[in-house]
Amino acid sequence: MNKAIISILGRDRPGIVAAVARTLTEHMCNIENVTQTMLQNEFAGIFIVTMPEGMSAADLHGRMVSSLSALELHVYSKPCEGGDEDCATEKLEPFVITTKGPDRKGLVAGISEEIARHGVNITNLQAVFKGGNDPGENIMIYEVDLPATFDVRTFTRDLRAKAEALSLEISIQHRNIFEALHRV
Amino acid sequence: MFTSREIISTLEMLKSENLDVRTVTLGINLLDCAGKDLQRVKSRITESIMDLAGDFVEVCDRIAQKYGIPIVNKRIAVSPIAVVGASFSPPQLVEVAQSLDAAAQKVHVDFIGGFSALVEKGMARGDRSLITAIPEALSSTERVCASVNVASTRAGINMDAVLLMGKTVKRAAHLTANRDGIACTKLCVFANIPEDIPFMAGAYMGIGEADAVINVGVSGPGVVKKAVERAFATNPSMDLGSVSELIKKTAYKVTRVGELIGREVAEQLKINFGVVDLSLAPTPHVGDSVGEIFQTLGLLAIGVPGTTAALALLNDAVKKGGAFASSRVGGLSGAFIPVSEDLNISEAVRDGHLCLEKLEAITSVCSVGLDMVALPGNISEETISAIIADEMAIGVINNKTTAARLIPVPGKKSGDSAYFGGLMGHSTIIAVKNADGDNPFLRRGGQIPAPIHSLRN
Repeated sequence: MNKAIISILGRDRPGIVAAVARTLTEHMCNIENVTQTMLQNEFAGIFIVTMPEGMSAADLHGRMVSSLSALELHVYSKPCEGGDEDCATEKLEPFVITTKGPDRKGLVAGISEEIARHGVNITNLQAVFKGGNDPGENIMIYEVDLPATFDVRTFTRDLRAKAEALSLEISIQHRNIFEALHRV
Repeated sequence: MFTSREIISTLEMLKSENLDVRTVTLGINLLDCAGKDLQRVKSRITESIMDLAGDFVEVCDRIAQKYGIPIVNKRIAVSPIAVVGASFSPPQLVEVAQSLDAAAQKVHVDFIGGFSALVEKGMARGDRSLITAIPEALSSTERVCASVNVASTRAGINMDAVLLMGKTVKRAAHLTANRDGIACTKLCVFANIPEDIPFMAGAYMGIGEADAVINVGVSGPGVVKKAVERAFATNPSMDLGSVSELIKKTAYKVTRVGELIGREVAEQLKINFGVVDLSLAPTPHVGDSVGEIFQTLGLLAIGVPGTTAALALLNDAVKKGGAFASSRVGGLSGAFIPVSEDLNISEAVRDGHLCLEKLEAITSVCSVGLDMVALPGNISEETISAIIADEMAIGVINNKTTAARLIPVPGKKSGDSAYFGGLMGHSTIIAVKNADGDNPFLRRGGQIPAPIHSLRN
């Protein structure tokens, strides 16, 4: 399949998704996956699309930029290699890592570095830093996948040590407890 | 993907509101250990416990860490020893209790329940021996818990057994007089005892159960209290129908956590999962109290007018939430009101808001009964039996479980303090009114018949 991945950034306002989708349709592209989020007032969207035969990611990028620049949207594109079939087949256990603690520089870097050092993949990250010393106002939530055979104790121990060094309170819990509490 | 609100509310429940798994209880069937050779029976009991429970505590600790939720107690419940050891004398049964205690210590569990007899319709020789052995068994062990079912809605009340239990409670207190009668904290007298209670002192392995089973007791009075507090802060005029709905939803969540943990422990130990017992079981800590819920609902303290209605609302909402969350809800499932184990309730006794008569009244709508009630040390055996008989009658007629865990505190009188330690807590000794003089009613013995099942007014 001839696929591209396109990322759109810009000040949030009504009509961004509609404008992107319209442009893709006009160029005969089919949207396979899309996700969007907002951070403060900024929009970020990621689209994986199938392009017609003969079209390259660079071609599509040019057409998107010309259509969307009037809306002051920034476009980033690249060819998309592989797809769902590339998903890991190893059994993974989803965990949620939560930290609370006073805001300071380097918190995301410190924790994510420790996660990466153990070869663990972050599947979702939400972080809110409102500043100040109120732990409840400064929170990071990492969703990670741990291989079923992984040494969770060592990972947990190292992560706790890192959190302590950063003056963070940390919880590392299997995702199922959140499912049990909040999802029917 | 979870919202940050869901994640944060989970952490709040665990860290600030004392949500925990109060107990995972491993039921072990010991019926195949029965025999006439005491040494052989004792060694087979020990082998069975070691075989099934060798990794039990370690597995529980590992799962607690995985989910970030404390499993406060790890316990074992065994088949009624009155059946397993039916051929033994009381001193021999005391030896069996000591073997159970030693095995429990080896596998690092907090308590082992099942030093029990079921005598609602009559006492067999083994039952009588076991009841006779209870005071020595409980005073010479740390972890063994005993229970005796003396009544049921199907059989009525065995008043001979009730009378015997009054003596048994008094002697158990006497043998542990230097520790405020602590042996009595490990002894429950029941009507309609369920076969799958994970909580102590009433846990035993039911006769109708498999070789082994995992039952889970989940608590959470702090979670319920905070949920109600938050709701009242948002909507001060919230009515009681909405409060019930809120408690139901909260109980639902707590039950789901219990089932998650129970199923995983069972899977890892390759044992059947039994039930989740969703009970609001307090501890003597601020913020982990059933009594505080009454104050949050607007009552001055547990015991004042309105208490029975409030407890009825609470108990029913908890049961409904639990029943919706899991098809494996069992045990007692409701609200406990153990006096010494709940700081707020013991303070209500101290301050004169809660008296024995009101406590008995509210047990008609709670999930257990007269639980952890410290009584004056000079109370007579007959009066203890009479209080037990009253409590059993509430259970039998209302088709519910009731229990009496009464502690006559040697050498102390009403208004004094009794201290039991740990989760057993401490309490002001409650006054027993109108207990002077003879009580020939009790001494007549016999069976109070099972109640009629129609004309229910």
